[in-house]
Amino acid sequence: MSIAVELPALGESVLEGTVARWLVKEGDRVELDQPIVEVTTDKVDAEIPAPAAGVIEAIVAGEGDVVPVGGVLARIAEGAAASTAAPKAAPAAKPAAEAAKPSPAPAPSAAARPAPPAPAPRATPVAKKAAAEGGVDLRALEGTGVGGRVTRADVERGGRAAPSAAPAPAPREAAAKRSAAAPAASAAPERPAFRADFGHYAIQEGDKVVPMSPLRKLVAEHMVYSKLTSPHVGTVAEIDLGGVSRLRSAHKDRFAETQGVPLTFLPFVVHATVRALREHPALNASVVGDSLVEKKDVHIGIAVETEKGLVVPVVRHADRLSLAGLAGAIEDLSARARTKRLSADELKGGTFTVTNPGRHGNLYGFAIINQPQVGILRMGEIVKRPVVRTVDGSDAIVIRPIMHLALSYDHRAVDGAPANAFLHRVRELLEEADFDF
Amino acid sequence: MAQGIQIDWLGRVAYGDALELQRLAVEARRAGGCGDRLLLLEHPPVVTLGRSTRPENLRTPRAELRARGVEVHEVARGGDVTYHGPGQLVGYAIVDLAARGLADVHAFLRGLEGALVEALAGLGVAAGTLPGMTGVFVAGAAPPRKLASIGLGLRGWVTWHGFALNATLDPADFGDIVPCGLRGVEMTSVARELGEPGGAPLFERTRDAVTRVFGERFA
Repeated sequence: MSIAVELPALGESVLEGTVARWLVKEGDRVELDQPIVEVTTDKVDAEIPAPAAGVIEAIVAGEGDVVPVGGVLARIAEGAAASTAAPKAAPAAKPAAEAAKPSPAPAPSAAARPAPPAPAPRATPVAKKAAAEGGVDLRALEGTGVGGRVTRADVERGGRAAPSAAPAPAPREAAAKRSAAAPAASAAPERPAFRADFGHYAIQEGDKVVPMSPLRKLVAEHMVYSKLTSPHVGTVAEIDLGGVSRLRSAHKDRFAETQGVPLTFLPFVVHATVRALREHPALNASVVGDSLVEKKDVHIGIAVETEKGLVVPVVRHADRLSLAGLAGAIEDLSARARTKRLSADELKGGTFTVTNPGRHGNLYGFAIINQPQVGILRMGEIVKRPVVRTVDGSDAIVIRPIMHLALSYDHRAVDGAPANAFLHRVRELLEEADFDF
Repeated sequence: MAQGIQIDWLGRVAYGDALELQRLAVEARRAGGCGDRLLLLEHPPVVTLGRSTRPENLRTPRAELRARGVEVHEVARGGDVTYHGPGQLVGYAIVDLAARGLADVHAFLRGLEGALVEALAGLGVAAGTLPGMTGVFVAGAAPPRKLASIGLGLRGWVTWHGFALNATLDPADFGDIVPCGLRGVEMTSVARELGEPGGAPLFERTRDAVTRVFGERFA
């Protein structure tokens, strides 16, 4: 007899829970009332006890999954005779076509399909999911689970042992359908279905499992998408901020008084970037289909780290703003980003991005391009360093505030020479420090 | 057996020891070996980190905290960072909700809040709850001033963890953390709200008020 472990109704206002940690694994024996899984809900962590003694036949909801009240977390094969009871109790494993479900198949494509797949072996839902994700053909595996079912461990072993195993039709087919359905204008390459197993981490007791927030997932997807879309090249300039620093010191008190915002280095960098972009429009561009599009407007995204994660509000028409205007706009957008009072429009439409990820332990680093832009500047920490300058006609070592400014650019759109010319221009503008307030 | 609640004052108990005590009490309650209990105690200075603690909500490096004698505990619970210390009345509620016919954990949370609000009223502090936030706050204060934090664990239908009511501790002790990850919420205490210097007499009055109200409500 197979018994479903469901998420109980913990309270009238509790509608769902997130699986935080499994305390048992598939195949484990459990006693009646033994806590088997931890589920977090709003303000309450609940340990769900086993409703019966038996063997964990299948873990249905993985760690991080959100499960509605009444949703099945696991199945327990009740009693000692688990191995004989399991096959009958398990709902007949759905055919492999199930895996291709995300894209509703248009009827005509049925003809183009490979011959109906051989009946898929019994497999646990987690194993099915892992197989679909890893592109592993369940039929090529021998199940070691209860009643010969294929478990996740089997899939992981199978993926490692036979990276060149027979192609799994399901993910391929689904991918082909998705790209066929994509609008022609989209230059986005289909994310490849990785066929090799690059390893999975098996969560262990005591590990901290943090389900990704929606924002975290979005950031993660954007980062992978950008890296797969744009061949990134990095280049770094060492910039003497002596002039800017003097200007800032001279004005910051009065500036804070009259403008009501602190005068940081960021608006100077943005101001120089905007002017350099005007002179080097190839960096203020996007790749659209087979064309490079240089944009008439300059809207600068400013990366802001908030409590909830990374957001990039946009200073619109940054080239029309004075230094004070930029400082005010940046302060306003970052303050509202931190208190989550930005409108969706304020996060859209950037044509180039500047990021300033904090002052310490950050000599320089290369940011990932904010798609569909073609370049991003990342500020390093500003540190006093000895540098060689010509003083009264001879070389001398002087102390200057130095910042490394790193440009990541999309080599589809821009080559090294123009990218360096742009970065050099930003440097010149900052070192000349000829800014109007 | 299900009715009534045994309330014990345990004095100052190290965080790790209190966790073990709770574990034993939960097991005993689930096995039917005892009734519902409220363990009242205070902790030596300790910062506890939940599973969803964001690192930036711990403002002081761990090594520095330890050097100052503040323990740092990572706990298998949800939620963000909390601070406990002397002058804070901690109540761990080991209650079998099913046996009370109260199989609604949020209703129980609201019950804890209600009991604390009543106890505070008895002390002369007007307190209440805020929609969308768990905990007890000074009534009508803007920005919110928090008097008590609440967090529950559930094993089967038996609760553990509970509340931490700032009786006489100095709210500045929360300076090392962003309590519960909530920015814009100020921590306060019974002593501060009453404008009293704090100390043992007020702590005892707070403890007695809580004991009385819980005794009545969970009779």
